[in-house]
Order: sequence, then C-alpha cells, then structure tokens
Amino acid sequence: MNRVVLAVGALVAAPLLIFLALSFRSNPNVIESPLLGTAAPAFELLDLDSGSRRLGDLKGKPVVLNFWASWCVPCVAENAVLADAARRYAGQVGFVGIVYQDDPVRIRMFQAQLGEWGPALMDPAGRTAIAYGVYGVPETFFIDRNGTIVHKITGAVDRASLERVLRDML
Amino acid sequence: MLFAKTTGAVGAALAALVVALIPMAASASGSQASADLERIVGPPAGHVLVGRGLEEATEAVASLMRCPVCQGLSVATSDTELARSIRVQAQEMLQLGYTQDQVLDYFEYSYGEFIRLAPKPEGFNLVVWIAPGLALLIGIGLVTLRLRGQRPPTPVEASVPSPEDSELDTYLSQVRREVGPSGGPGAGGAES
Repeated sequence: MNRVVLAVGALVAAPLLIFLALSFRSNPNVIESPLLGTAAPAFELLDLDSGSRRLGDLKGKPVVLNFWASWCVPCVAENAVLADAARRYAGQVGFVGIVYQDDPVRIRMFQAQLGEWGPALMDPAGRTAIAYGVYGVPETFFIDRNGTIVHKITGAVDRASLERVLRDML
Repeated sequence: MLFAKTTGAVGAALAALVVALIPMAASASGSQASADLERIVGPPAGHVLVGRGLEEATEAVASLMRCPVCQGLSVATSDTELARSIRVQAQEMLQLGYTQDQVLDYFEYSYGEFIRLAPKPEGFNLVVWIAPGLALLIGIGLVTLRLRGQRPPTPVEASVPSPEDSELDTYLSQVRREVGPSGGPGAGGAES
C-alpha cells in the first residue's frame, strides 16, 4: 500500500517539479509578446499639435515605438536614453512615442522638463496600446523596415539594449 | 445568453447605424483599427447585437477575459482603465456583429492566450482540463483501496481455521486425553 501511495505521489509531484525547473530558465521580468514576427498594428493618431501621424508614414525605416506616460517613473529614467538615441540615429530610425492613459498638458510639462525625442501621440481609449498588447508603461516595440515587430522591451530601455537592437535592425 | 438577433434588411440597417455611430469606425484611427480587425479575425460572423442582448453578450465575453494588469480579475470585474477600454472595444465588436469567439481571438492576438481566463482545451492545455478529473479518480481509487484493507473479516473468513487455531486444537485434545472424560485431575481421588 505504501508503495502505491509513493508511486502516485511521485507521479503527481514529478510534472510539477519539471514545470518549476523549466520556469527557472526564463526571465520572469520578460513578457513575451505574441506579436513578435507579425505585422505591426497600423495606427493613425494625433500628436500634441493635432497633427495626424500614421505608422505607414515611416515605411521603409526602422521604428522605435515607445508607450509611455508622464506619471510613469521608469519613463523618466529612459527618456534621456531615448533622446540620445533619437539624436544619434536621426534620419535612420523613426522614434515615436504613444501616450498611455495620460493627458496632453502633463505630457507637455514632462517634455519641457526632460526633453523631447519624438512625437507624442495621443491614444484615445488606449486602442493602439491594446492592439499592441501593452500591459503597462514603458513598453518599447522595435519595427523593422518591412513593418514587422522584431523586438520588444518591457520596462525602461537601457542604452546597451537599445544599441544592440538598433544595430541588428540597421 | 440572450442575443438580440436581427435578420435581413433590418439587420443591415442596424449594422449601418451602429457603424456610423461608434467612434472607432468614425475616427481616422478607427478605420485603421477596423482594417486590423478584418485582417486578424475576418469579417463579422455573428449577428448585430443591440440593447439588453448586447449588454449581456458584453458581460459574458468580458467575464471570459483576464484583466492584463490585475491579479486574478476578469475584465468584467476589474475597474482599471485598461479593463474598461477592453470592455468598450469588445462591446463595439459585438455591435458590429463579431461573435464571442472572434472577440476573444482578437484580444488573444495581441495579448496571447494569457487573456483567456479559461485556456482552450487543446494541446498541452488539455492537462489543465484532464488533470483535475484524473486526480479525483486516483484519489477515489486510493481511498477505496484503503477502505478495503480495513474491512472487518466476513463470517466465512472467520470460520476458516488459522494455523494458530490448529496448534491450539492439538494441545486442547492432548489436555483432554490426559484429563480424561470425567473432568479434572482430581476426579480419581487426591494423592497424599
């Protein structure tokens, strides 16, 4: 009887242990996007000056698409990194920011204090964020020349990661 | 689930009205979103829903989706801005005649299967559906085995003499022979 109980216990515990062991192999901070390798969802949004901007306008050029908000602390940290990259890759890479659950006044104040690295597009009801499967901010999507999402960074973008991805895209 | 089904010309007219009214289809970004909708889940495959039927269908589909920024809450029960946006968008899709499956497929496209509170019963997911039943059966089997082991002996089993009983019988017969038919050792007079 004891052997039967042990065998059944092992049968139940083994898959759980294997599952746990496999989980250690992945980074819990990385949220994989099912959109990697697929066409970037198209959008047409208004910037802070009510100018219409479309993703299609940047066709043929790699795009760094960053979802951010003025209330987001990591967004403050990554703003300088994005501003620096936008300056160095000007003309080669398109840098676009999509505002997540925020209002234009605060965005203008944020940009006035910390600098501006690209258009900040308003996203009514978060439709574009939902289309990109955004969980929170900041999240950055990298779109290649063909309009395919090739990489995603969850959380603040650091200089080294940004450089590596951009070099791969160019 | 109560769906307000419409057919023929009435349905077409309602669909046109809904498309004209909802902001998603009316705005510039909405037309892009509509194009993406078609690309991802195809044309609407259901009936245009309105009124109470629409509310119930929205509630039903929202209760099947996980709020992406919550801990264990559905889109229906969460009050976060993201959950509210997903609810609104789901309702707009249902208004346009998309089915519940199409709505779920659309959000799954961008959020992955994580968005589904109940994973699809296919592939590895089958473990989730089968394991609880299997575990229950194994549990019942173990309990049954254990109970059988503790069952009191039946009368038939009790009447079968054990080896110990046979040995005792041998000694008992020997004692009876030595003592004799009259009873105890003192039956034939006491020695002095």
